[in-house]
Amino acid sequence: MKKQTYFYSLMILFFLFSSAVLFGEPDFKKMLSEIDSLGSFRENDFSCIYTIVSEKPDEDTSVTQVKMFRRDKTDQFVLLILQPEVQKGQGYLQLEDNIWFYDPESRKFSHSSLRENIQGSDAKNSDLKEPSLAEDYSVDTWSEGTLGKYQVYILDLTALNDETSYPKMKIWIRKDINIVLKVENYGLSGRLMRTVYYPNYIKIGGKMLPSRILLKDELKIGEKTQLTMKDVSIADIPDYVFTKSYLEKVNR
Amino acid sequence: MKTAVLAFRNLNRQKKRSFLLGGAIAFGIFIITMINGFTGSFVENVSENFSHLLAGHIFIDGVEKSESGKNISIIRDDTLLLEAVGQLNFPVRYLTKRSTFSGTLIFEGDSLMQNVSGVLWEEEEYLKERLLLVEGDFASMKNPKGIILSENTASRLNITIGDTLLVQLKTATGQQNVGDFVLAAIIQDPGFFGSLSAYANMEYVNQLLNISPKEYMTLGIFLDDLKYMNPASIMLYQLLTNKVNLFERSYQQEDTNIFQAMTDQAKEEKWEGVRYRLYTLNDMLGQVEQIVRALNIVGLVILVILFLIIMVGITNTFRMIMFERIREIGTMRSLGLHRKGVRRLFIIESLFLSLGGVLSGLLVSGILMLILSKISIGVESPLFLLLNNGHFTFKISPVQIIGNIAIVAVLTILAVLVPANKASKLEPADALRFRN
Repeated sequence: MKKQTYFYSLMILFFLFSSAVLFGEPDFKKMLSEIDSLGSFRENDFSCIYTIVSEKPDEDTSVTQVKMFRRDKTDQFVLLILQPEVQKGQGYLQLEDNIWFYDPESRKFSHSSLRENIQGSDAKNSDLKEPSLAEDYSVDTWSEGTLGKYQVYILDLTALNDETSYPKMKIWIRKDINIVLKVENYGLSGRLMRTVYYPNYIKIGGKMLPSRILLKDELKIGEKTQLTMKDVSIADIPDYVFTKSYLEKVNR
Repeated sequence: MKTAVLAFRNLNRQKKRSFLLGGAIAFGIFIITMINGFTGSFVENVSENFSHLLAGHIFIDGVEKSESGKNISIIRDDTLLLEAVGQLNFPVRYLTKRSTFSGTLIFEGDSLMQNVSGVLWEEEEYLKERLLLVEGDFASMKNPKGIILSENTASRLNITIGDTLLVQLKTATGQQNVGDFVLAAIIQDPGFFGSLSAYANMEYVNQLLNISPKEYMTLGIFLDDLKYMNPASIMLYQLLTNKVNLFERSYQQEDTNIFQAMTDQAKEEKWEGVRYRLYTLNDMLGQVEQIVRALNIVGLVILVILFLIIMVGITNTFRMIMFERIREIGTMRSLGLHRKGVRRLFIIESLFLSLGGVLSGLLVSGILMLILSKISIGVESPLFLLLNNGHFTFKISPVQIIGNIAIVAVLTILAVLVPANKASKLEPADALRFRN
């Protein structure tokens, strides 16, 4: 009986292995790298304005507008708040490994993090930065399916280090083109925390960027955030923008 | 002696006027004494209340650099720390070990930010004595996922005993995590510091923070008395210097927020393994001392302004007194009283007036302090941190009282000097001829 079980187990393993070879399991590492590459600007600078609309039950809808400057080749970015008026002039700056937050009221910089939420919304600073899926995650399991009208790969990802925002993710990738349509973010305990949808993309400088992002808080029922991108540019950004003095002077 | 008796008699002749003038002085002294008395116990009360809220007088945090250079708050092995604490020459009442996080508590659509402290309940009997239960019991904390919330927090979440709530937090390395707690008990609300007061089991908090059960974040040392805090911290720092890697205790002056200064310091420096940071309540409450200094200065300025106004009143009154008594001064001068004697009479009269005012002011403020200290404001009051077990306390040093009396005496003498000099310069014959 034992020998029989052993034999069947070996057969199943052989079948799985041979079917993976025969049918060609997609190279997911490469797929993640391509997704990262499509969202990063190594040759140009990148800037745009994000309008962040955050809805919470029993609260008025809040609208935040931020101007983002990105220089991916040197891993620099600046996020400048344009709206609401009371927070105008506040900003985030990445300098080497440090993320600084500037408050024009106190005229002081304080340490912040990419994992901080922007203005109480469900969007984090890291959502607007250059993606690094291939570097931060490995593929645990995968399957195929459909999402709306698209054929997709559904990948379960696990973080390769303990410093990524989410230790586990599930992502839906279009089969015909390597863009992400949906992401589920899970906490360390394995509980679903946030679902992100990328319904629209725009093409700029040979890259694909989500022009609209919908974030749904899975813990606080009814809380959702929508990010819309406008005034996209890949023109060179002056060096002084990526400095503390820029944030200090920009709204004087 | 005769001059003093005469001065006293003169004051008695115009009781109403003396009463009003002395009353003005008494009011000034009353105000400054109340301010000094309040600020005198301000730091002590705030420190004492904070020591209970934060579970210690001296604190040691561990900070470790991750591979990517991020700071992780953790004490992995406390053997050397406990050894150094054991060598202290100051009485230690108890030690506390805490793992703490700031997260979002979520219950049926309501959410709020809350600090949650992981506590070793079997080792922290004192905490059970300090926490005033409104509902539930400590026995329910045997549930590993039990949590104790303040009244205000429970009411804002609309949660009752036995309900399960979610918590969203970041692990020690900053990853997102979600856990669930069961409400075990509700404690009386400690005022506006309610957000500091949620307690859970350390083992579960560590699990949520993704650190091992034996590890924790802060070691708190609760001394027998607040007065040992500074000398004990200096000694402990010296003892630890030879045992572990320590942060410097001085922070940049421009940093008003100690925690920001400590974060910046840890960000800027590089080291291997766990580095320890020792700080005291005084380090955290530096701004409270600044407030006290500011209040005392404001009190002194009020005193001076008040007495400048009173001085004008005294000067005018004594000018009036001089005119009223010109013929009397002439008689006294004719009977052999020297110019100095006249001047002395006026000055002693004013000193009696100020002494009477000062004593009345001190008496009234003393009575009011006594009454206020007997009234129980309650620990749920927003003033909770300034109170001692819900009561106002006042502390004023004899040096401050003597200083205030000296200021009043000097200002009164200055105020009366002009009319006193004028009176002393009167010619006896002219004074006797004077008609109103």
